[in-house]
Amino acid sequence: MKKYWFIYKSEVMSDLQYIFNLLVGFISYLILIYIFLNLWNYMYDDPTQVINGYTKNQMIWYVIITEILWMTVGGRKLCRKICDDVKGGNIAYNINKPYSYIGYALSSHLGGCTVKAIMFTILGMITGIIFIGEFPKLTILSCIMVLITALLATIINTLLIIFVGLISFFIEDANPFYWLYSKFILVLGTIFPIEYFPSIMQPILIYSPIYVVSYGPAKLFVDFSWEKCLFIIIAQIAYIIIAYLLCRLLYKKGVKRLNVNGG
Amino acid sequence: MLTEVKNQIKVSFLSIKYALLREMLNKTTFITNVIFMILNNASMIVQWIILYSLKENVGGYTFKQILLLWGIAAGTFGVSRFFFSKAFSLADTINSGKLDAYLVQPKNVLLSVITSEVEVSALGDILYAYIMLFIYGFTLPTFLLFTMFCIGGGIILTAISIILSSLSFWFQKTDVIADTGNRLLTSFATYPDGIFKGLAKILLFTLIPVGIVNYIPVDILSNFNLGLTGIFLFATFLLITLAAFIFYKGLKRYSSSNLMNARI
Repeated sequence: MKKYWFIYKSEVMSDLQYIFNLLVGFISYLILIYIFLNLWNYMYDDPTQVINGYTKNQMIWYVIITEILWMTVGGRKLCRKICDDVKGGNIAYNINKPYSYIGYALSSHLGGCTVKAIMFTILGMITGIIFIGEFPKLTILSCIMVLITALLATIINTLLIIFVGLISFFIEDANPFYWLYSKFILVLGTIFPIEYFPSIMQPILIYSPIYVVSYGPAKLFVDFSWEKCLFIIIAQIAYIIIAYLLCRLLYKKGVKRLNVNGG
Repeated sequence: MLTEVKNQIKVSFLSIKYALLREMLNKTTFITNVIFMILNNASMIVQWIILYSLKENVGGYTFKQILLLWGIAAGTFGVSRFFFSKAFSLADTINSGKLDAYLVQPKNVLLSVITSEVEVSALGDILYAYIMLFIYGFTLPTFLLFTMFCIGGGIILTAISIILSSLSFWFQKTDVIADTGNRLLTSFATYPDGIFKGLAKILLFTLIPVGIVNYIPVDILSNFNLGLTGIFLFATFLLITLAAFIFYKGLKRYSSSNLMNARI
């Protein structure tokens, strides 16, 4: 565990050196929030109106939180890195190292997410308070629980992206699979809460990654309940175990097919 | 003069053709890139189905018009990223001094650079654009106008990227500005202008010309207007000229990094 902690720390330190690079992400985040702010202002006739159980302010906060979670992970870069490692043969350098490639990818990526998560959270909260004017009713304890679910959501999302990236062992370029995964999370989990979908789809969505990756933490933030919190955390732990085992299985099968030319 | 232009266009198309052939070496990757991009774009329809279940009209657009807006957005994005892919990493090419290989060619430097690479997935965007047009309603005039808007819009997106990337000739770290500009254009492109008000709306038709690339074409295709078509063509011509002017002005300040690399 100590070696993964060291990889994580190195990545955090490296990110702190290049804080200016986060600027593009911040601007993209602000653009998206601005678009959704306008969209929901248009969709709601007045602030007291409730659509599918959400007021306008709750909907905007929901999007602010899901976008923080999504932008923090920056999955495209991770997926591309894994694809390049496999395609370019770099993965061969990791095979003979005394750590697991999945553990390395996870700890290194989480290190890269840490600074972004802190910055995006501060930016998101300021944006929300400026545009909406009010903060959801949360106690300190419920805030801590939201942060825990957000951390678990980031771990699950990273593991699932590693899984998608490892598909490149079999088809060389797994990026197209990442596009589909990202749109799946974006359309069904980031832009709208599960309650917006037809009732026939909702039970399916509850068991899908959307529930643990984006809906869970955002729902707790806008409408906290201990019962829901417990259910979300249990689902997240189950997802972490399943996603990790799936990554290991895919890596084990993929690495057997690996053929690297020296150079 | 005319022969020179013809030759240059021929060379650019050959460059695109060979870049495409390189990408087609792995057929599975090529096909998955194209098909998955179509699916990737199509998934966003879910968002609009939900929004239209809440309101009959979103930002003054009917559901079919939203599909057309998506078609135009995908088409312009596809044309710019397929034919002129390198224009979107031009800032990096300038910063790292990689323009040398193009400077020694007896052809137009700007065109040689921007047509030297293709983005295969952009073919999926172009195909998706026409699928949206067929759903909206296909007629020959609509098809011709739609094609013109996709090409013109694609050229505008490329020209803006060239202008912003060319700032790298004068300043450091301008790749952030180019990336932000490109992102602004694509982020607003798929949302109807009716949801924006005041200053934002003015900016969308001026400084961030999403209005010219996306909203005006949808307006013309829904209800033909010669004046608006003229504005679109004028803006395209103006931005091409401005992009070429700024790039060549900056090129005089370019200094090589003596980087040794081979173009295969």
